Amino acid sequence: MAMRELVTGGAACAVPGSSSSSNPLGALANAIIGSSSKTQGRLQEIPTSTAAPSDSRFYPDTNDHLSALPGSDFGNSLQQPHTQGSEFLSGFRSANQNGFADAWDEIQHQNQIPPHFDQFHGPVPAALPQPTLDGPPQRVLSSFLHSFVGSSHGSIPFRPTSLPLLGLSEGDKQCIRDRSSIMARHFFADKSEDFINAQVNALLSSLEIDSDARVKGPLPGRFQELEDYWNESQGMVRPGAPAVDGWITEYSQHRAAHGDPDAWARSFEQQHGANGWASEFEKEQSQLTSVDQMRGVNMPNFEAMEQTRMLAHTLAQNNDPKFQNSKFLQFVSKMSRGELIIDDNQVKPATYGDWAAEYQQQYTRGPSWADEFAHNQLSHGPEQWVNEFGTEREQHGSIDDQWVNEFSKLHVDDWAEEFEQQVGENSAANWENAYDEFMNEQVAAKQRSDASRGVYVFSDMNPYVGHPNPLKEGQELFRKGLLSEAVLALEAEVLKNPENAEGWRLLGIAHAENDDDQQAIAAMMRAQEADPANLEVLLSLGVSHTNELEQAAALKYLYGWLRNHPKYGTLATPELSESLYYADVSRLFIEASQMFPKDADVHIVLGVLYNLSREYDKAIESFQTALKLRPHDYSLWNKLGATQANSVQSADAILAYQQALDLKPNYVRAWANMGISYANQGMYEESIRYYVRALAMNPKADNAWQYLRISLSSASRNDMLEACDSRNLDVLQKEFPL
Amino acid sequence: MTVFKTPFNGYSVKFSPFYESRLAVATAQNFGILGNGRIHILDLSPTAPTLSQLVSFDTADGVYDLSWSESHDSLLVAAIADGSVKIYDTALPPTANPIRSLHEHTREVHSTDYNPTRRDSFLTASWDDTIKLWTVDRPTSVRTFKEHAYCVYNAAWNPRHSDVFCSASGDCTLRIWDVREAGSTMIIPAHEFEILACDWNKYDDCVIASASVDKSIKLWDVRNYRVPIAVLNGHGYAVRRVKFSPHRRNVLASCSYDMTVCLWDFMVEDALVARYDHHTEFSVGVDMSVLVEGLLASTGWDELVYVWQQGMDPRAV
Repeated sequence: MAMRELVTGGAACAVPGSSSSSNPLGALANAIIGSSSKTQGRLQEIPTSTAAPSDSRFYPDTNDHLSALPGSDFGNSLQQPHTQGSEFLSGFRSANQNGFADAWDEIQHQNQIPPHFDQFHGPVPAALPQPTLDGPPQRVLSSFLHSFVGSSHGSIPFRPTSLPLLGLSEGDKQCIRDRSSIMARHFFADKSEDFINAQVNALLSSLEIDSDARVKGPLPGRFQELEDYWNESQGMVRPGAPAVDGWITEYSQHRAAHGDPDAWARSFEQQHGANGWASEFEKEQSQLTSVDQMRGVNMPNFEAMEQTRMLAHTLAQNNDPKFQNSKFLQFVSKMSRGELIIDDNQVKPATYGDWAAEYQQQYTRGPSWADEFAHNQLSHGPEQWVNEFGTEREQHGSIDDQWVNEFSKLHVDDWAEEFEQQVGENSAANWENAYDEFMNEQVAAKQRSDASRGVYVFSDMNPYVGHPNPLKEGQELFRKGLLSEAVLALEAEVLKNPENAEGWRLLGIAHAENDDDQQAIAAMMRAQEADPANLEVLLSLGVSHTNELEQAAALKYLYGWLRNHPKYGTLATPELSESLYYADVSRLFIEASQMFPKDADVHIVLGVLYNLSREYDKAIESFQTALKLRPHDYSLWNKLGATQANSVQSADAILAYQQALDLKPNYVRAWANMGISYANQGMYEESIRYYVRALAMNPKADNAWQYLRISLSSASRNDMLEACDSRNLDVLQKEFPL
Repeated sequence: MTVFKTPFNGYSVKFSPFYESRLAVATAQNFGILGNGRIHILDLSPTAPTLSQLVSFDTADGVYDLSWSESHDSLLVAAIADGSVKIYDTALPPTANPIRSLHEHTREVHSTDYNPTRRDSFLTASWDDTIKLWTVDRPTSVRTFKEHAYCVYNAAWNPRHSDVFCSASGDCTLRIWDVREAGSTMIIPAHEFEILACDWNKYDDCVIASASVDKSIKLWDVRNYRVPIAVLNGHGYAVRRVKFSPHRRNVLASCSYDMTVCLWDFMVEDALVARYDHHTEFSVGVDMSVLVEGLLASTGWDELVYVWQQGMDPRAV
């Protein structure tokens, strides 16, 4: 018991009269009094205390309390006596005698949201409901969702959502960027490794482009002499920004002028009133956003990617075995994988949903603006807004194009040179490589984004063109699991009969199983054009859009599935299709599953929906229910595995993928997913073998090549990176047999 | 071995000032870079060396730090990475929590400290370069202290003078403040690198420890701050947190990105008293029990919380 120790040991070194919480006398007093109410004990201990002279009142009243708190006159003074506060605390007073829980209940029940309180505090009730937990394990989420496109079915035109729940928002990206760069400065300021230190810091400051006023730049004057620092801190003058190039500074200034979203919203409101918003937005968009997006969004992304890469690189150079085993090291290298996927998201200009989220993220802090926005949404309808945005987009062309052009035109050379001077040739070479990589990725992503707009990209030199019955041939090849061949045959079919929904659908499924989501979506969109009510197509599109983190589109297709379904069509009321909300759609499907509990399809859709809302436990349950009804559905096993991987149960996921592969040995996606699950568990050697197997079956699976590259570096198999970059499967297969 | 596994990466651990067996742990997903957070309230079993969870609270962003209320045994204040400061009543179920959510900081809130002498107010230090003073009963902060030129990582109340606190910042200064004054009363350019933590000696109200990215801990006497009283070298990476013993005048604990927890006696030549190597990732949280002398707790990014008696091996079975 503590009291004994306090008496024997602690009291010996206590300082009489000290009122510190750390004073063992205080604890001793408590122990003697035998009460957990420390207030009691303390009050007797401190004769001069005025805080709570009487037991009946915690504070005489709020005003007294405020004036009693020194320094409050320097701070944010309240306009009027704040009675709520004393009520709040009076709960404790009674609690001291009767138990806190009762008092709390009392407070909460009688006066949960005091309006007066609200006024100061915004809509935060006394008992705050748990916020939605919207920070998923992003890497897991992204890699999982990539693996999630199964062979299923779905369709309806595109519409935006007010705020997609999925996907890395601009805020998330900012978190990654800011936090990793601030933390990196803590990890690597190691004097004995000056080279590494200088390298990382030079890199960080070179790349630190404050796209937002809130972004932390590198600390100015950090390496200056103490004297310099002293002067600086006294004078409170910050040295000039560590600008690498004029344009950065210029940009920051530009940003600063537009930096405060609240101010922006306010001034805008004053000038234009609520209704001017839409039109003004269009103008703003053309004047600012193309520039802002270009630098403010893409650059930090690039930067984050580079930072994590450098972080991984630097960490890998530390010889301490503890660091070599560090999960943090693994995390960082995995994050560079996550960043690639962020990049994917980012680069797809067609995804209005993402854009809306970003925009919202940037400006949501102004509550009045948010209200305004909601109001506008109601009166204008979101479609209109998106149309406007869409037209705008077309006029401006791809932002990526502009950005890439402008960036390469203006800055690359200077910047690279300057960087080289700063850090020496060696690291500059690394950096340039990384930069090249980034540019290549941009280009590749650009190509992919074409596909995501629904443009199906046909293969060259298709031997099946001219085949008498390519559809039959394609179905046969698909059944045999020769997916790449099946794709060619089916392409020949849809070239011959562009209106053949079944041909397009099968082509979409073949691509999905071959781990090529964009082509899968493009093909499915064509299938849906040809047959708007095809249930399998609708479901498949719903799943694909879930994988692509596009909640609104996913909901639309899944709802379309329900509406066109002969059994459940009655559930879907037409008015709902005007504004789809997650809660409504999931409610409908829960009803459907109660109507026909033996219908595996409904459970599959529910599983997909729970993935959208990240309720992975429920999703796993739904898929498991569906699997009981349909145990031989390999794509269903894959979905289960992907969901388990996403809820951080990678070991279970491997079992599920194994089931899928037992049923369909040539299921490229399951092989690749298997690799991801192993990589997530830090078993990089194993993951490499699975990626190589997947790639041997479909060398066009670009994602798998990227995963492979990351696993190779994580497993310190840099010797094989060249084979990976040149896509030399022979070498890789020889080195990593399964 | 008294250990508890948290699903997320540990960020902070604090002993309750009211119950000798109770601890609160702040955790954040993905090393605090992105994702959710969770606060665990743990109880040490009186008989077996085990930690059991009483309750846990989920947050939408990582929890970087927390501090127990000094006036109410069930209240605690949490510093959240999304810039909010949340107050929890651990006697209430998670659905009724948090009982307060205070949104003023514009960047990550990195630490919080409850006033141990006045017991009515607490401080938060944030990456928005400010420190804010709050009371439990007011919906807005009482004061904002904005002088630091970079992230403020830590702020700690003086254990004797109820209106005095110090702050540690990435601008490489320690600052001493008196809330009765308009500005800071003292600026100590304590390190040449970012300063991540500071704490007051519990027995000598003029002595401060500062912990820095430069791997050192320095001891300062505020009456003569031109030179440090002592410089404690021994950590291999940035020192993340420093905490004076509530029982021994000269003893302090620290934890570091070198994955170790160290105990120091700053008055003797060979200052390093003990080095605990039990964490396998960065160790970022350490605390010393006020109620049980020599009882230590630590947490780290290996998702483990250890509680052990000084002199023992934290991993001893």
